[in-house]
Amino acid sequence: MRRILAQARKELTQIRRDRLALALTLVLPLALVALMGTSVSLTVTDIPIVIQDLDQTPLSRQYADAFRGSLMFRVVTLPPAMAPEAMLATGRVRAAVIIPEHFAREIRRGRPAEAQVLVDATDGNTARLTRGGAGQVTQAFARQVAPERARPPIQTATRLWFNPGRESSKFYGPGFMVLALSIFPPVLAALAMSREGEQQTILQVYVSSISAHEYLLGKILAGMVTGLTQCLLSVGLMFTLFGLRFAGDPMPLVAGSVLFVFCAVAFGTLVGAAIPNQAAAVQAVALGGFLLSFLLSGLIFPIENIPDALRWVSSLVHARYYIVIVRDAFLQGGGWPAVWWAELAIGAIGVGYYTLAWRAMRRMQVKA
Amino acid sequence: MRGFARRLLARRFWALALKELRQIRRDRRLTVSLIVPPVLQVLLFGFALDSEVRNLRLGVVDESRTAESRELISVLTQNATFQLVGAYATPAALGEALATARLDVGVVIPYHFARMRMRGQPATVQVLLNAANANTAQISQGYVEGAVAWLNRDLAGARAAPVELRAAFIYNPGLVNAWFIVTGVFGTLIILNGSLVSAATMIREKERGTVEQLLMTPASALEVVLAKLVPLFLLLMTMVALVLTVARLVFDVPFRGNPLLLLAACGGCVLTGIGLGTFISTVARSANQTQLISFFVNPPLALLSGGLTPIEAMPKWVQPLTLLNPIAHFAKIARSVLVKGAGLDVVYPDLLALLALAALLVGVSAWRFRRQLS
Repeated sequence: MRRILAQARKELTQIRRDRLALALTLVLPLALVALMGTSVSLTVTDIPIVIQDLDQTPLSRQYADAFRGSLMFRVVTLPPAMAPEAMLATGRVRAAVIIPEHFAREIRRGRPAEAQVLVDATDGNTARLTRGGAGQVTQAFARQVAPERARPPIQTATRLWFNPGRESSKFYGPGFMVLALSIFPPVLAALAMSREGEQQTILQVYVSSISAHEYLLGKILAGMVTGLTQCLLSVGLMFTLFGLRFAGDPMPLVAGSVLFVFCAVAFGTLVGAAIPNQAAAVQAVALGGFLLSFLLSGLIFPIENIPDALRWVSSLVHARYYIVIVRDAFLQGGGWPAVWWAELAIGAIGVGYYTLAWRAMRRMQVKA
Repeated sequence: MRGFARRLLARRFWALALKELRQIRRDRRLTVSLIVPPVLQVLLFGFALDSEVRNLRLGVVDESRTAESRELISVLTQNATFQLVGAYATPAALGEALATARLDVGVVIPYHFARMRMRGQPATVQVLLNAANANTAQISQGYVEGAVAWLNRDLAGARAAPVELRAAFIYNPGLVNAWFIVTGVFGTLIILNGSLVSAATMIREKERGTVEQLLMTPASALEVVLAKLVPLFLLLMTMVALVLTVARLVFDVPFRGNPLLLLAACGGCVLTGIGLGTFISTVARSANQTQLISFFVNPPLALLSGGLTPIEAMPKWVQPLTLLNPIAHFAKIARSVLVKGAGLDVVYPDLLALLALAALLVGVSAWRFRRQLS
């Protein structure tokens, strides 16, 4: 135990002396979480649209005004002698609403009037949102002009749980906290480990009385200290910048964070031990950590949409489970019954990485 | 100008360029990192990132237990959006399942549902959505309302709604998400991999101290810099061709516009990547420092580009910043040219901005590199 602590102290001293490493552990992750968590969002508001009113009656103008009044759209004026399709082609608007001739007459006669919306579907998600929003505006307008005919037999009352304001940042803030935690602690650990291989200081370790387990645990302990500091600061950021609170029992988050940081640092140590070249090791961790946890953890897009052939890979990505725990702690508050399986999975993956790191270390010794 | 061109074609320049090419070719890791990561990344991004909302887990509390309520449930589960995973006895049990993330959507059909409908009174169905993910919530709310509206139209018979809106999706009528992602990620791949590779080749001279040897050759500093840039440019353009092939063959991305226009944009993007990498290598002292410094540069560059998430969805103060992001301009050009078939008259502002950024980055970094030489 004493030897583990001594090893950890030596590592921490090394990190403290390296200004770049210190910035990597504490400043950069927080800046990244703050910037990305607030900026990344899929839900567009203020979608620029253009309206071509071929009817030019008070009723059609009232319909156009319904779009102007909507928070979702920003109506751009159609320049004279320009087709709405041309506006779409230049990318100045995302959709064009076309109100046909005789629009008002059809409505007054009690026949269904039909308007058209052309949606630029280059971005499928925004296209779906645009269609939904335009449909809602139209329904509201229909209720206004013909209340007796527009009253549907079945109505829906929708309740939005856990994030009633539908604020994207409350979803992506915790997500990017997990991304930052799955990149920076392992990068530092990989640097610390591959440095020993690159500078051959590992030989000094072999001749000392420290055992492989003690050495590894010391390194991982030091990595966990910096990782958990980063985690604590990120949680602070969630409370301040993102306005989140613990929705339920915070204990699963505490346990999950300790397990996750252990897992991430063990992963970094494993890569560092396997690749005794600092630049290559960092690149491997960055590619592996960033790509896997960015793409296969459900950070931005749902895991369920990944094709089956790839989806099984995501069950080996530790960030995928931690993201469930963090989002549950801040949004749903389901507590242990909701996340126990995720904690177990992180623990199992962590033990796996530790075992592999230990074996890689033994191989290093044979080579040296 | 003529003298410059003659000097460019001098044998000295080619000898240096050839030396660079050979060095790059012999460095197996570099060659591999030019081919494998870009192809792997474009495949991964294209396949793994899909924003479509489908297979949402739906739970119901059917207090009515009538043919009418079952009809509503079957309408909701007709398409791939919702998948019925359970029926619950009470709304409380449904809420519990939502909170423990076993459900995404819950629907509560009241006891009087069928009777209200028979009397011709409006019946209200409660819909509970897990809105933690704002985007999914908004789209699934649209789907629920759409399904109910469809049922309403059926029930109302002749009494159709007074105004209908018909939507037509243009450019990508199938809403193929890969077209958006692949065209968006393309620029990120070029710039990130380009800067990585060029930083690695530039820093090598510095680390090994061979800069002095370059100084001893009769070549001028400009020739040394150019001889470094040209082979890298050619190699990275090969990578671009590779990625384009994958986009075409694997993801079926349409090539509607002028390919030369796209190639010009790719060239600008590659130059920006080289400039960025060279700049990083002049700041860093060792190979692993270049890697660490790129951590500060790459994630914001990649994520604030509009490549994966729309720029319009970013906060107002961030949006102007994306004008400085070469990837943002490139993504716009790639989408306009490939998917929309736009010509130079549409994309020229972005192309000019991209080329200006490329010129600026290459200029500054070449200047810094030359200063190191002398």
